[in-house]
Amino acid sequence: MSMMKFQTVERDSFFSRLDFRPKLFVVMIVTIIAFAWESPLLQLILAVVIVATCLLVGVKWSYIRTILLIMIPFYLLLLLTHAFFNRDQVMALEGYDSLDQLRRIFTFPENWPIIGGSFATWDGLIYGFNVIFKTLTLTLVIPLAVFTTEVNNMIVGMVRAKIPYKIAFIFSSTLRFFPLLIGEFTAIIEAQRLRGLAMEKMSPIKRVKVYSKVAVPLILGALVKSQQLEVVLQSKAFSGSPDRTYLHESILKPADYAIMVFFTVFFLTAFFLLIYYKIGTFGGPI
Amino acid sequence: MPELIAVLKDVSYKYPRSTDFVLSNVNLEIHKGEFLGLIGPTGAGKSTLCMALNGIVPQFYGGRFFGSVHIGDLDTTEHPISELASLVGQVFEDPEIQLIATSVENEIAFALENLRIPREVISERIPKALSAVRLEGTEQKAPNELSGGQKQRLAIAAAIAVQPDLLIMDEPTSQLDPVGAEEVFATAHELNQELGMTIVMASRAAEEMAEFAHRIVLLSHGEIIALGTPDEIYSQIELLASNNLRPPQVASTFYSIRKTGIAVPKVPVRMKDATPYLGDLANLKPNPSFALPAPPKVTGEPLLSVKDLAHVYPDGTKALYGVSLDIREGEYVLIIGQNGAGKSTLVKHFLNLLQPTEGVVKVGGTDTREMTVSALARRIGYIAQNPDNQIFNDSVRAEIEFALRNLDYSPEVIETRTRESLEAMGLMDVQDRHPLSLPKGDRARVVIGAILAMKPEIIIFDEPTTGQDYLGAQYILNISRDLHKAGKTVIVITHHLYLMPEYADRVIVMGKGTLLLDQDIRSAYHAKDILKSTFLTAPQAVHLSRQMQQLNGNFLPLLTPKEIADYLAPEEGAS
Repeated sequence: MSMMKFQTVERDSFFSRLDFRPKLFVVMIVTIIAFAWESPLLQLILAVVIVATCLLVGVKWSYIRTILLIMIPFYLLLLLTHAFFNRDQVMALEGYDSLDQLRRIFTFPENWPIIGGSFATWDGLIYGFNVIFKTLTLTLVIPLAVFTTEVNNMIVGMVRAKIPYKIAFIFSSTLRFFPLLIGEFTAIIEAQRLRGLAMEKMSPIKRVKVYSKVAVPLILGALVKSQQLEVVLQSKAFSGSPDRTYLHESILKPADYAIMVFFTVFFLTAFFLLIYYKIGTFGGPI
Repeated sequence: MPELIAVLKDVSYKYPRSTDFVLSNVNLEIHKGEFLGLIGPTGAGKSTLCMALNGIVPQFYGGRFFGSVHIGDLDTTEHPISELASLVGQVFEDPEIQLIATSVENEIAFALENLRIPREVISERIPKALSAVRLEGTEQKAPNELSGGQKQRLAIAAAIAVQPDLLIMDEPTSQLDPVGAEEVFATAHELNQELGMTIVMASRAAEEMAEFAHRIVLLSHGEIIALGTPDEIYSQIELLASNNLRPPQVASTFYSIRKTGIAVPKVPVRMKDATPYLGDLANLKPNPSFALPAPPKVTGEPLLSVKDLAHVYPDGTKALYGVSLDIREGEYVLIIGQNGAGKSTLVKHFLNLLQPTEGVVKVGGTDTREMTVSALARRIGYIAQNPDNQIFNDSVRAEIEFALRNLDYSPEVIETRTRESLEAMGLMDVQDRHPLSLPKGDRARVVIGAILAMKPEIIIFDEPTTGQDYLGAQYILNISRDLHKAGKTVIVITHHLYLMPEYADRVIVMGKGTLLLDQDIRSAYHAKDILKSTFLTAPQAVHLSRQMQQLNGNFLPLLTPKEIADYLAPEEGAS
C-alpha cells in the first residue's frame, strides 16, 4: 500500500512560512476568543475569516466541505435544541426576568401529545448560531496551523515552545501514520465488498455496523505496525530523550514576531471591548 | 587474519512466552569489509539474528538470552540500543514502516539528531549519504513520492549516514519489484566494494546473493547448519531443498544435468561461471524423445473481454491506454510488468473497482459498469497480497461464511459450501480459531477458502508470492493449479517469473500502461527485449537456454532447469 500524504497544503504562503510557535499562539488566541465571545455576528465574522484564511493558504475546499457536511446534522441538532430548550442561559445573558420576554418563533398547540405547549424562541435560535460558528472556528483553526506546517518543523517548534519532546513526537507520529490507517481501512472495506458486501444497498445504520466490524482488524494491524515502528525507532537511536540535536533551527523571524504582536493586541482589544463595552456578549451592542 | 567487526559466541535466545529457542548455540565471526549472506527458511531465526546484532534482541523484546554478541569491544547486552545504533545500521523489510520523517533530508537526519550529532555535521552527511545511494537532489521530497526501490535506498542512506561499522539488511528486496530489488542489491554491492562497508543481508534472492555475497550462513531452526562461500553453499542443492530453500537456477540446472549422467565438472552458482561449460552442453546430442509441450488451445466465447481500455486517475496520471484482450474459460494467465505498468489498474477494472475512462470491460458478455462490485464478486474471486487486510471475522468458519451470508445463500448452502471450503483448504481443525492467531501461510489459506466458497468462475491472485518463502509461494501456486485443473480461469500477477513456468500457459506483459505482449509463456519468456523494456528479467534457465541457442542454432527455447536436463539427457537416462 502506498503511503498517502497527510492533508498538508502544497501552497507556499505567508502563513506556511511562519514558524510553528506563532501558529500555535494564533490557535490559542483564536480559541480563547471563540470561547469568550457569545455574539453570533462576531462569531460569524471570526468563522468566515478563519475559513477564508484556510482557503487562502491552500487548505482544499473539498476538505472544508467534508467537515461542513459531517457537521450539518450536528448543527441542525444544535439549532433545534437551543431554539426549544435554551431558555435559562439566554434569559440570564439578556437579563430577562420572565419567559414572556423571550421572542417566540412558534408554539405547538396545547392539545398536541407530549410536545403540546412547547415553543421555539428567536433568542435560543440565535444563540444556537453563536455556538455553530464557535464550533466551526474551533474545528478549522487547528488544521489551519497543522496543515500548513511540515511535520518535522512542528516537532522543532513544539520543543522550542517547551512542549516535551516525547509528546511532540507522538503528535507528529499520529499525523504521519493517520493516512496509513486510512489506507488500511479502505483496503479492508474493499476486501469486504469483494466478498459480496453490497454497501450501496445498505442503510446508514447497517453501514455503521460494517465500519465498526473493521475496527478489530484495523486495531490489530495498527498494533502490529506500532511494534514494528518501535523496533525501527530503536534501531535509529530514538530514546524519547529531549537531549538531541535538530537539523533545522527554529528561529523566530520578524514576520513571526509581527503575528504574535498583532494577535496579542487583538486579544487585549477584544477583552477590553468585551469587559468595558460588552462588545462580543450575547445581546450586546454587536 | 581479517579484522573482526562482530562476534557471536554461544548465542541462544527465546522470546517471552515462546516455548522454543529461536537461536540456538550460534557461533559466528563477521569480518570487516565482508558481505555476509544470511539464508534459511521462514522461522529459521534470520531476523532475530539481525536484531541481536544491534541489541534489539534481547533489550527491546526481553526473553531469555544466553551467550554474548560483541560489536567491536561492546557487549550488546551491556550497552543501550541507542549507543549501539551508532555502530550498527539496520534496513528492514517493509519500505513503508521504516520511513518516519516527511522529507528525505529529515529521514536521514533523524538518527543523527538522536545521536546528538551537531547540525553542521548532519548537513554535511546528508548529501554524502544520498550520493552513495544515488538519490541526489531528492532532499526536499516526501518519502512517499519515491518508488519502492528508492524508499529502500533512502532507508539505506539513513542507516549509512550514521557511518556504522556494520550495515544489516533484513529481506530488503522481498517487497520490491525486480527494478527496485536490482537497485538495492547494486547499492549494497557498491557500498561494500567502494566504501568497504561490512554488510549482513538476509535475503531469499538466491541469484543475487550468489553474485554479491562473500560468505553465506545457512540457518535452520535457530542453528547455523552451514557456513561457506556462495559456491560451497548454493551448490549443495539437496541441503537447500531439505531446508525449503531455492538455489540459483543456474545451480539447479547444472545439478539436474549432472543427475542425468552427463559429466559436469562443477555446479556453478553464477551465470558467468556457467559460461565456459555451455559450448560443450549446447553441442550434445539432444534426447530424441524430448518434445516441447504445445501451448494449450483454448476456444469459446471470452469470459473476460477488454476493448480499447484507457484509464486516467483523477490526478491526471494516465495509467492505461489502448488495452484490448480476451480471456477465455479455463485459461491460466500470468500478468507481468514493472510497478506502475498498469497491472493492478487493469485487474481493478475486471472487478469494477475502477471504471474505464475509455473503452469497455465485459465479464460474461456484460459491461462491468452495469454490475455492482458485490455482484461481480460472485463471478470473480480476488485474492490480494496481504491476507491480513482481508480478515475481519472472529473465527475461521465465520470468515468462510462471510461472503455466503452477504450473497443471501440459504443456510443449507452456506453450511455445505463452508464445509467444502474448510476441507479443501485443510482448515477443518482450526475452524473455531481466530484467523489472525494462525501462521501467515494458514491465514492466506483462510482468505483463499473464503473466496472459493463463493465458487467464482475466475480467480485472481494479486502478488500472492510477495513476502512468502519458497515453500509458501509454491503452496499458494499449487492451489492455483488445482483450481485451474478443476476448470477455473486463473489470473496471477507476480514479479517472481522463475516460479511460473510450471503453472501459467499464457503471459500478458504490461509496460507503462500498455499491453506490450500477449503470448504463450515460452514465447513471452524468450522475448528478451520486450521483458527488458518493462525492467523484467527472464529466469536464469531461460538465459542459459538462449545462450546455448546462440552456440547451437538448433537448441530449443527452454524454460526450466528440468526441461534443459531432460532435453540434454542421454536417451536412456532421461528423467
